[in-house]
Order: sequence, then structure tokens, then C-alpha cells
Amino acid sequence: MDLQKSYKEDIRLFKKPSALVAFLGLIAGLIAFPFLMLKVSGGSYYINAVNLIAIYAIVAVGLNILVGYTGQISLGHAGFFAIGAYAQALLVVQGDVPVLAALIVAGLIAAVFGLLLGLPALRLEGPYLAIATLGFGMAVCQIIGRLDFLGGRMGFSVPPPGLSGWVKAWLAHLYSPELAVDAPQYAMYLLIIPICVILTIAAVNLMKSKIGRAFVAIRDSEVAAETIGVNLTRYKTTAFAVSAFYTGIAGGLYAHHMAFINPESFDLRLSIMFLAMVVVGGLGSVLGSHLGALLITLLMFALTAVRDVPEIIFGGIMILIILFEPLGLRGRWLKIKFYWKAWPF
Amino acid sequence: MTRKLMIILSILSAAMLVTGCPPKEEAEAPAEEPAKPAEPEQPAKADAAKTGVTDDTILVGQWSPQTGPAALWGAVARGTAAYFEMINAEGGIHGRKLKLLIRDDSYQAPKTKAAVMELAEKEGVFAFVGGVGTGPGMAVKDYLKEKKIPWIGPASGSSKWTGEFNRYLFSLYPTYTDEAKGLVRYLLETAKKGKIAMLYQNDDYGKEGLDAAKAELKKHGKELLAEVSVEMTDADLKSHVLKLKQAKPQAVILFVLPKHAAIAVGTAAKLKFKPLWVSTSTLSDAPLMHKITKGLWDGVVFDTFLELPDSDHPRVKKYREAYEKYGLKANPKEQWGLFFMAGFVFAEPFVEAVKRAGPDLDREKLVEALESLDKWDDGIGHNITFGPERRQGQKAVFLATCKQGKAVKLTDWIEIE
Amino acid sequence: MGLATGCLYALIALAMVIIYKTSEILNFSQGELAMVGAYIAFLLLDTLGLPFAVALPLTFLLSMALGALCELLFLQPARERARVIPLILLWGFTLFVLYLAGFVEPGVPVSLAVIVLVFAVWMTAETFSKRPLRKPTLLGLIIITLGLEMVLYGGAGGIWGSSQERLPALVSDTAGFEVGQVYLSGLDLITFGGSVLVMLLLFLFFRYSRLGIAMKATAQNPLAARLMGIRPGRIYSFTWALAALVGAFAGLLTASAQPLDNNLMMEPLLKGFAAAVLGGMHSLAGAVLGGCLLGVIESLVAGYLPDGTQYKSTVAFMIIILVLCIRPSGLLGRHYVKKV
Repeated sequence: MDLQKSYKEDIRLFKKPSALVAFLGLIAGLIAFPFLMLKVSGGSYYINAVNLIAIYAIVAVGLNILVGYTGQISLGHAGFFAIGAYAQALLVVQGDVPVLAALIVAGLIAAVFGLLLGLPALRLEGPYLAIATLGFGMAVCQIIGRLDFLGGRMGFSVPPPGLSGWVKAWLAHLYSPELAVDAPQYAMYLLIIPICVILTIAAVNLMKSKIGRAFVAIRDSEVAAETIGVNLTRYKTTAFAVSAFYTGIAGGLYAHHMAFINPESFDLRLSIMFLAMVVVGGLGSVLGSHLGALLITLLMFALTAVRDVPEIIFGGIMILIILFEPLGLRGRWLKIKFYWKAWPF
Repeated sequence: MTRKLMIILSILSAAMLVTGCPPKEEAEAPAEEPAKPAEPEQPAKADAAKTGVTDDTILVGQWSPQTGPAALWGAVARGTAAYFEMINAEGGIHGRKLKLLIRDDSYQAPKTKAAVMELAEKEGVFAFVGGVGTGPGMAVKDYLKEKKIPWIGPASGSSKWTGEFNRYLFSLYPTYTDEAKGLVRYLLETAKKGKIAMLYQNDDYGKEGLDAAKAELKKHGKELLAEVSVEMTDADLKSHVLKLKQAKPQAVILFVLPKHAAIAVGTAAKLKFKPLWVSTSTLSDAPLMHKITKGLWDGVVFDTFLELPDSDHPRVKKYREAYEKYGLKANPKEQWGLFFMAGFVFAEPFVEAVKRAGPDLDREKLVEALESLDKWDDGIGHNITFGPERRQGQKAVFLATCKQGKAVKLTDWIEIE
Repeated sequence: MGLATGCLYALIALAMVIIYKTSEILNFSQGELAMVGAYIAFLLLDTLGLPFAVALPLTFLLSMALGALCELLFLQPARERARVIPLILLWGFTLFVLYLAGFVEPGVPVSLAVIVLVFAVWMTAETFSKRPLRKPTLLGLIIITLGLEMVLYGGAGGIWGSSQERLPALVSDTAGFEVGQVYLSGLDLITFGGSVLVMLLLFLFFRYSRLGIAMKATAQNPLAARLMGIRPGRIYSFTWALAALVGAFAGLLTASAQPLDNNLMMEPLLKGFAAAVLGGMHSLAGAVLGGCLLGVIESLVAGYLPDGTQYKSTVAFMIIILVLCIRPSGLLGRHYVKKV
């Protein structure tokens, strides 16, 4: 039964033992996965895919905090992504800063911009907010393109994280020198997955906390929220900042993943893709963000083999999912869960 | 609040820990490789080097923007496919047929990376041929190098391919720098037009051309009268053309895409501005340009690095037949022109090298065979030369102009130094 | 000079505002509808060789039909909780995917096709299970328009290929004449004139015609409109048809001045959207004003700032954001006070 006897129970991370078991199982799976891939031919292709999915999942979680939980809209998240990526690139290459610390700083820098964007966003909503964020995203790309110390339009090469050398030696020693060539992929996995897990747990926790409840209150009714004492300014800007922080960190990871970044890759298409991940996956749900990121990225990869009309398939799938499952993939998951629980009724 | 604090603290402490860790990664900062190999590189291991080669097939991969904003260049991959079919119909090479696997990356680097990894690891291709785009190419360059997979003929003239010596990357497209030099020299020496302005695309293609043009002009003691940049997404070029017009140049160098060239030339006509337009090989498809500029393209001078699509060169005619036989069959909307032909020119040296490597084919032999090409001229390119330390295959272009919708040669092949 | 471009933006902005006013949906597929309109014209004029007098009205009619069709197929079911049409779409799509997987090489990976098939069967089973269907949220509807945009984009690319074409133009965009400091072409004149005409017609339509008033009524209160005998479904379809018409006009004008390919309207859509926001999403006049302002600002920036051509979009957007800070509902928009 779902009877809760105390506040503490309400905000527990794992409401049931089964959830905890499932989570531990997932962690075990994530740990085992790379070892499995080392044995499989073409393994690093899958690792690469999972890396990118995890990166996008972080963005999706961040964006969901803003769109799903707080009810805002952003068409400019590629801008935060870019800020994170370039900040990371600069810090690591020019500043010689260790990768993890650089990631946090990159995230913080993005968060500052998020705060800045949040300020005008206070008065805007709907299409007006959409355009404002869109303008922000465009401006970021333009300005980065202009700054020569960021490589300008020619792009910026980013070395793999220092970890990679370590992994390389280890792989060569334990397996074989050929596999050692794949080290960057595996090193990124080692870096990205723990960060993704930590950030996801942090997001879930955040949403259960006072801040998270304030976000949801703002989404459901701004006026009512203000009436009961939720400080709109503070929480709206916080929502932007947190969302930007997540996206910034993901951007930093992306810079290492792609090893080369240029302003063109952070365009409006990317922002729209992020939004699609969140809506198709499920608004207001961290699980939904992950599902959305998983679906969209896999779709992207699968469609490289389609010759003529991948966009039709991509668009078609998006439309059909929303038509049949307006709550997104997560909604479908909930339905399955309830069906299972209520069986055989 | 405490929970969040704890999370932040734990992340920070983890960061401290890891950064304190093995100092060797920091010392392993990417060493600057000079343009020549610093130490003898380990050639690929025997089995890995034979990947993609079976008794009857050679698997080749290519990424291509079949969809998206750069879809015009998607024809390159289809050209290579037709070329391979033509070779196969003639019996293949040493009894093996060439099989081309194309992946659509829509000019997006993450997709390029995924596609290349899929082709390299899951499909096990022997080599990569072509591959449109500097951005997408840069995303996979290091991966291919690490994996020791040969890559022949990137479909981009960026100097980045040959900046650092890469044993497995063979560039064919003359660099944008070379093209810009060629155009400037033509303007100064042959056309005798010293007042030059430039319209360039705001990305690595345009910027590289801009820098090279300025450098070349400086050598002759001159300067660009105006440099105007175009964004990829611009559709209205009135302000751009006005700026160019105000500088009163005799000639304008175009380092842009066909679409923008068409708009620029059209807008200039409207503004009664008629300089001598010169452009790069990107705009060398005279019939296409003539069509999309509604005839205003006559008189434009351009450089190109492969035989003209409507020339009488025997090879061009042969390829045209291949287009009709295989290209149109695969895609009834296919057009014969520069982009389709480019798919041939980037693959020719590869095919030649496979022939030279003999029946016992592997990647290392391919590299050696490519290195043996010296002023090779049997294709629609010119004087392809590689060597143990040279990876820029072609440095020759020739100039042509558009007369009534057809391309007409103006000069012979010129080697750019 | 920026005015001509501004008018193009204004047209797209108008189309978006029309749809937004009636249903609060941001139609991201507006650009592609316009692009398809231009391609239809190309088909009629170039491929079929029809004369202008026949081709142009036909283009407009077909575009309107396309707009209405899109609304009927994709948006209406979402709104009205219908069951049949989504199922038709679903199976049509599934069959398309299966066809690609089986018969076209290289095609869709089999795994994807299988997933789609499973999804189709599952959804069909559920549709008949009498469970109440949920309506998509507003954001969901917007994502549907995004999906529609992709479908149209890919469809046009698939049908017409990726090569660049040129639309035969009624009026030349290059033969021009000087008016003081400014150069105008015949096309510019048509753009001005046409946009003004469209504006006027729309204004008259909304104020005086029965259909126009019905549309306004549906926008304000669909339930009350229904009580008055107006069928919201028809109205929404017509709204889209109208927007598609305006868009097609914009598409034709755009395609007359530059090569035609399926990327034609991507940028104008963005600018049109921004213009609509600038002017106020609920105001038709605002859309026009926004469009013209945007065009002029861009021209000024590009013309007078060194390297301005790089910045013009950014500066324009910055200005829009500034304006929004001062007037959160756009220049001419009315700030609707929400009741709790």
C-alpha cells in the first residue's frame, strides 16, 4: 500500500524496496556493460552511443526541470550547451585545469548565464519567452563564432580527458593494444556515467525538496503560488540557473566526447531536439527525460542508414507518440506499471 | 538544503581526489606533431589491416549529407557509388568487387561520429573514401587515425587535413588556400584587375579563403577593398551587395555556396553593379549556376580541380554513361554535374592504389600504393602526387568561365605553390 | 529596402498569428507549408508548363487544401480525442516504414520497423479498449507541429530531390529601377503591394465577414461559439487553410528571388516567428509592424555596422528581447490578465 506515515517517508528516494533493488540492478548493469562491450566486436560503437545518450539525458533532465516542472519554455538550451562546451574546452586546454573541476566550473558559468536569462524571463511567457530564449541561443553561437580565442568559426579541438591515458595503459595491459585504441570511448564512459547518475539523483532529490515543490507550484498557477508565499523571482531564476547548470556540464562532457567543437553544431535544431526529448519522453519526470533522450538519440543513429526520408520517419514518430501518448513515454510506462499492479482486473 | 550541500561537497571532494591522482595523464599532454612523422609509427597489425577485404569484396565507407541543409552535396556519395558500380561491371579489381556503404549524417558531427564508428567497427570497412564537410570530418579524423583506417579524398578543401602529418589521411581536394591564391593571381596577372573585394561565407571555408586571399594580395602590395561575410542562413543579400558596391571594385571573389552566389549576382544586377565575378570550384557547375541565376552567370570566372562536367574528355564521357546507367537508376532525380562527378574524382586514386597494391591487399599496402602515385594523371583530376611525407595529392587547378550556360576552359592546369 | 524583406517576414508572422489567435498553437510547420506551396507552384509552372494565370490560383487552392488537411489529420484528433484518424495515420505510417524496411535498399533497420509495428498493434488494441483518451498539452501540440514540419521537409526533399531549382517568375527580381537612393525591382513592388493587400483583406475579413467573426468567436470562447452554432472543428481547419494561403504567397515571393530547395523557408520562419512575437501574438497589425521593423533593423545593422552582416540577426533578436522586457506582450499585444 502507498500509505505514508511521516514526512520523511514522503521524500524518501526509494519508496519501496523493489525500487531500490531495481536501481542497484541498474547500477550493476552499468558497471558490467563496458566489460561486456570489451568482448563484443564493435563494442566501442555501443559505448559511444551510450555516452552520447547519457550526455543528452543530462540535458534533458535539466530542461525538464525548467519546462516540465516549472512550466517555462526554452528554445535556446543549445546556447547553454555551447557555453558549457566552450568553457570546458578553454579551461582544459588553455587553463590546464583538471577535467572534473573544469566541468563544475563550466556548469557554474552556464548557470550564471541561466540566471541572466532568467531575469527577463520573469515577465515573459509562452511564445514571448520562446523567442527570448531562442534569441539567446542564437546570440551565444554568433558571439562564440566571433571570438578568435575560442577558435572562431574554425572550431576548437579538445583532447580526451587525462583519464584516458590511464584507461589506455590499463586496457593495453589487461586486454590488448588494439583495444587500447578505444580508450577514449571507455574513459568517457567512466567519466560520464557516474556524473549522469549523480546528477539524476540530485535532480530527483531536488524535485522532492522545497525548491522542487516551489517549481511545480509556479507551473500550476503562478498567482496561487505567489499567494502562498513562493517568491516567483527567486524560484524562476533558480530554475533557469539549475537547468543551465545541468546543460552546461553536459556541454563540457560533449566537448570531450566529440573532441572537436564548432559554433555551427549548437544551432536551433539542437535546441528543438532537446525540447522534443523532454516532451516525447514525458514532461515533469526525470525518468521521462532519460527515456526521451534514449529514444531520440537512438532514432538519430538508426536513421543514418535510411536513404531518402529520415526526417519523415523522425517527425512521424514524434507526432504519433504525442497523439497516442500525450504524457510521453513515461506516461506509457506508468500505464504499464498500473496495468501490472491492477492485474488481473 | 543539507542534501544538496552534501551532494555538492561530495562532488567537489571526488574532484579533488581524482585530480590528485596519477600525474602521468597531465604530463601526457598532446605532443605537437610536426608536419613530418616524428618517430616511425607502428603499422597496423596484420589482421586489423586486412579488415574489409574478402576474397570477392572490398568494403568501403562514406558519410554524406543526404538530407538536411547540405543535401546538395549528398550527390558526391551517390557519384562514388556509381563509380564503384562501373568498376565492378568491368570486372572489379583483382577479382574483387567494391561495395560502398553510405551513411547519412545530415552534416551533424555526432551523427558522423556514430556512422563512422558503426562502419568501422560493426561493418568493418576497409577504408573511407570522400566524406563531405570540414566539421563532420574533424569529428572523426582522430578516431580514424588512431584506428589506422585509411581515409582518401575528404570532400573539403580545408588545410586541416594536411596540417599535421597523418599517415592514413590522403587529401585530394586542393586547399581553399590554394584556390584563393589561384584566383588572386589570375585577377592580378591575367585579368589585370587590381581592385578586388570579397564575399565570403562565415565558416572555415570562407575564412580560410579570406585569409589566403589577403595574404596573396599583400605579397603584391595590395589589399581587399571590401570583405563582406555571409551567414549560411542568410537569404537577403542586399546589404551585402551594397557594401561591396560601395567599395567600387573591379572584381569580386566569391567564396560562398551556390545559393548565395545566385542571390548575390541577382541582387547585384538589380543594383546595377557589374564587377567581374570570380569564384571557387564549389560554384564551378556552370549549367547549374546558369539555371539558378537565370542566366546571369555568364562571364563568371571560376577555378576547378576536375574536368568540366560538360567537357569532351573521354573519361568524363565514360562517367556520364555510368551516371545514366547506375546513378539515374538508383535515384531518378539525380542530376549530372559537379557534385556527382566529385564522387568520382575523390575515389579514383583509391581505385588506382588498390590496383597497384595487388591481389594481396591490406591497409598498409594501400598506403604504400598511394604513396607511389607520382603526377598521376589518369583520372579527371591532375598530377596526383603522394609520397612518404606528402599527403596533399592535388595542387593543380584550372580556370574556366561560363558562356551561355556552358563552361569554357580559360587556362590550362596550373600548379599552385 | 529592408522593408521588402520585412514584408516577407510580416507575411509569415501574419500566418502564425492567425493560427495563434484562434488556437494558441505556435505553428512551427508554417515555413514548410510555405515551402511546399512554392514547390507546388514549381511543379505546375516548370514541370507541367502551365501558364501563370492557371498555375497561381491553383497553387493557392492546393496550399489551402494542404493546410486544412494537415490540421484535420494531425491537430484535430489531438484536440478532439478522436480515434479513427490517428489510427489511419498510425497504420499509414507503419506501412510506409515496413515498405522502406523491406523494399528499399538501404532502408530502415529492421529493428526499427519491428518496434513501429509493435507500437501500432499495441495502440490499436488500446484504442478499442474504451479507456478514456487524454488530450495532449499545448506543448504537445507544438511538438506535433514540429513533427509535421519535419515530415513536410523530408517529404519535399524526397519528392523533389536535393538539387536547387529556380521558380519561373512572373516579375523579374533583377531588372530594377532607382528611386532616389534606393533600388527597387518589380518583385519588391509586388511584395510591398501584395503584403499590404493581404493585410487589408485580412482586416476586412475578420471584421466584416461572417467567417471572420466566427473565427474570432472561436478564439475567445470555443464552447460559447459552439452554442451559437459555429463548428470549431471547421473553423480550425479553415484557419490553417488561411494561414497556409498567406504562407504560400510568402513562399512564392521568397522563391522568386532565390534558388528553390527544401531549406527555403527555414530562416524566414524563424524571423517571421520573431516578428510575430515582436508585434504581439494576438495582433495582426502587430505582426505586420513586427515584420517590417525586423526587416528594417536587420538592413540597417547589416548596412551601417562594419561586419554588420554577421550580426544582423543577433542584434535584431537582442532588440526584440529588450522590447519584450518593456512590453512583455509585444508592441501591439494586449496583455491578457489571467484569472485564477
